[in-house]
Amino acid sequence: MTRKKVKLAFIANDSARKATYKKRKRGLMKKVNELSTLCGIDSCAVIYSPYEAQPEVWPANPMSILGQFKKMPEMEQSKKMVNQESFLRQRIAKAKDQLRRQLKENREKEMTELMFQCLIGKEVHSLGMVDLNDLGWVIDQYLKDVWNRIEAIKKDPAKAAGLPAGQVACLDVSREEKPFGAVQHHQLPQLQWCSTFLTAGSAKQPQFGGAVGDPMTMMAGYGSGGHADPGGAWTSNPYSYILDSKKWE
Amino acid sequence: MDQIERKNKGRRKIKMAKMEKESNLLVTFSKRRSGLFKKASELCTLCGVQIAIIVFSPGKKVFSFGHPNVETIVDRYLTSPNFSSPQPNNNSNINMLEAHRSAKIQELNAEVTQVTTQLESEKKRGEALDKMRKMNQNKCWWENNVSELNLAQLQHLLVALEELKIDVAKEAVMGASTSNQIVPYMGTYNDTYPGSNIFNNL
Repeated sequence: MTRKKVKLAFIANDSARKATYKKRKRGLMKKVNELSTLCGIDSCAVIYSPYEAQPEVWPANPMSILGQFKKMPEMEQSKKMVNQESFLRQRIAKAKDQLRRQLKENREKEMTELMFQCLIGKEVHSLGMVDLNDLGWVIDQYLKDVWNRIEAIKKDPAKAAGLPAGQVACLDVSREEKPFGAVQHHQLPQLQWCSTFLTAGSAKQPQFGGAVGDPMTMMAGYGSGGHADPGGAWTSNPYSYILDSKKWE
Repeated sequence: MDQIERKNKGRRKIKMAKMEKESNLLVTFSKRRSGLFKKASELCTLCGVQIAIIVFSPGKKVFSFGHPNVETIVDRYLTSPNFSSPQPNNNSNINMLEAHRSAKIQELNAEVTQVTTQLESEKKRGEALDKMRKMNQNKCWWENNVSELNLAQLQHLLVALEELKIDVAKEAVMGASTSNQIVPYMGTYNDTYPGSNIFNNL
């Protein structure tokens, strides 16, 4: 069967409409049958059309099922009852919800990729406010994951992926002991990563809740980091940290 | 070899008998019931017919779809199962109501189609992003999943990320303070200056 996209509107052409009706009616009845069989449940369908004097029904005698239905209390009958309008509204709501989730997921993936690019030298200056906010959020999330994994390995070294022979963790032993977050930047004000697409699920204009540190403090904090120099591999670009990664492989 | 190939290669023909696993049965019921109502709705729109479908769930709840509504169709059938009683077409009020209803339905149909196509394209975009990440993982060790990295790499990554975090925070703070300076002046300019449109959403 060729799959042409059908416009969801009343078919104006009489013969085309009748042909479509015949095909789809047959398909619909087949689906009702399959549903009953596969799931072992009772169901029925009644169709009134201008093309037939009698209503189309499945099963041949739906009376017992209709009776079963009518016997139920009104509330039970109407609880899951829909007409075209309510059914479509339900579908729209569900699709919109899925779309929102997918957009958020995609945004997170995008920002994670951006994060990796920044780690190897992409300029942070070029980013707009919304991107910066989302990037900050993603970095925080990733830091948590990295930290948790480090902790897990320390607790159970058997879990660690094997280090190639001869390679050793070259970072400060003292740093390993420090609790997460207190590594060196405790003098910085805590910035709240606020409502953006990622954190609140809707793109709002970011407003900062935390105190604004003046650039001088931030510079100082950044400079006094005290990261270990693993044997003089540092250059002026801190992110060359990652670029020198070949020694870590 | 044969066993591996057979593990759910796309759609496979299923046996037309009551499903064995209850969990699968419930999922199937949910999906197929929804699909059935969707087909019924399409049939109503495309061919202008009236339908009622009644479905009892495995949990004895009843789902029903009806156009224009379940009760009138069911009652109509129960009173005369053998005849398609002709619909009264001379009442102009009913015709107005029908026209209004179908205009609404048309609107909703258009909306479903629009949101669904958007959803599909976003899903594709997600897959493309996944693919890109996977490709990058071959060249860049730090893009691998955290669970794949060794301790040295993780610590390396930790420090690099902390540094990046600082830079981003610094940049964000500076951006926030500069924008606060410019915005109050917007009202005093007669002409907009180049780039001023970026503050239009504030």
